[in-house]
Amino acid sequence: MARFLAVSNRKGGVGKSTIAVMLANATAAWSGKRVLLADLDTQCNASLMLVGGEAWERASRAGHTVADYFYDRFEKVAEDESAYVLNNVGDVAHARTAPGRVSLLPGSQRLEDIQGELLLKHSKKDLHADAVAVQVRTRMKNMLKHFGMDFDVVILDCPPGLSFAALAALALADHVLVPFRPDFVSQFAMDRAAMLIERVETAEQLAGIPISERRYSCLPNYLKGDGHERLLIEQLALDHPVLNTRLPMLDSIARAFDWDETRKTMQEKYADALPHLRSLHDEIFRVPELLAKSA
Amino acid sequence: MTKRTRALSGASQDAYFRRLFRSHSSLTPDERDKIVQLLRREIAQLRLRRQQREGDAEVSKEAAPAKPAQIVETPPASPADVQPAPTAPRTRPVATPFDPFSINVVVLLRTGGRERLLGALESIDSADNLRLLAREQRLSVGADLTSPPELRAAIVQAAERRVANRIAAAS
Repeated sequence: MARFLAVSNRKGGVGKSTIAVMLANATAAWSGKRVLLADLDTQCNASLMLVGGEAWERASRAGHTVADYFYDRFEKVAEDESAYVLNNVGDVAHARTAPGRVSLLPGSQRLEDIQGELLLKHSKKDLHADAVAVQVRTRMKNMLKHFGMDFDVVILDCPPGLSFAALAALALADHVLVPFRPDFVSQFAMDRAAMLIERVETAEQLAGIPISERRYSCLPNYLKGDGHERLLIEQLALDHPVLNTRLPMLDSIARAFDWDETRKTMQEKYADALPHLRSLHDEIFRVPELLAKSA
Repeated sequence: MTKRTRALSGASQDAYFRRLFRSHSSLTPDERDKIVQLLRREIAQLRLRRQQREGDAEVSKEAAPAKPAQIVETPPASPADVQPAPTAPRTRPVATPFDPFSINVVVLLRTGGRERLLGALESIDSADNLRLLAREQRLSVGADLTSPPELRAAIVQAAERRVANRIAAAS
């Protein structure tokens, strides 16, 4: 069974999809793992980064996206999980060779609509709204879990906000990576995200869980290197586990959004971001929950 | 052997320009800020000759905490930069620009309490530097405050409000 790593933050624009794709490539290339990236974000950026627009559109037209998977499974349409997965994706050469490879469960702009539709369908059963929501989330979580059979690592690229899919991913994840920009509002977002991940109601309850035992790690991203960022990271580290890795604002990371059919080495793809990615990869896979089975 | 140039960047560079403009021009504070911001965008790193700075008492008359975060010592880049060795012993210490991030106000308040934070702020004598620290750390202090004790108290209060706001938002 795979280890599940969610990349999540309720706040948008913190680099979740970019980091999810970087980690997918790094894990396949450097650890030789079979990696599935499940794109749960309706923006579908991770899908576009891994297969480009045309292949993503073909998958969408064929009904082979994460939204279709959820819908079909709720409707008990019998099709194997593998039918929804695109294998050997990405434009990194190392990630396309056996045994390490990256696969993709493509994202869909219809995922939010489908979640609403599934909620309505289950609401007919005279259940309380909260109970229906829990039921839908739980089924989604179990459906995502099925993918663990064919992969070593499943990276769940979560959307901003708290959709059913995001909550299902957080419930399923062995560990949650929370990228953040060190600005004032990020502290609020991190506090709330932490309570959600640790399933507690108050900041006091959260403080009662030792930082070393938390199920998440915070990753400072988009760093410019000024003193104010350092202050905020230090403040955040009083309450949350913060990785030693820091991702600076680099053109090489911004350019890595672009997908083309030319296979590249990790060095060509990530250039001067490579040492930072190596550090992130090594640090995140030292996390005990991820270490156990992916080692 | 002492290094003859000093590189400034980020907040230290800003602080240097602010002091320079305050000493040599009649610019208003707003105008100074605008120019400093412009210079920060244009200039990645500033290298100062120590000898020149020592002679410039108006610019560098204020000493600062021991460990400014963003100051990088660099040797001269080329022979042209090398100054003649000093013929007389130095009589004045080299002034270091004030680093507004040398004290993490919120962290110190939370880990050491109000008294320890006040104690740390006591090491900053200048009202200008206290105001710079407050501004760079986004701590709101009244514009009418002028004395260091008032500014220190206001910084502590602002930090306490910051912590209270965060706790409230998480509840």
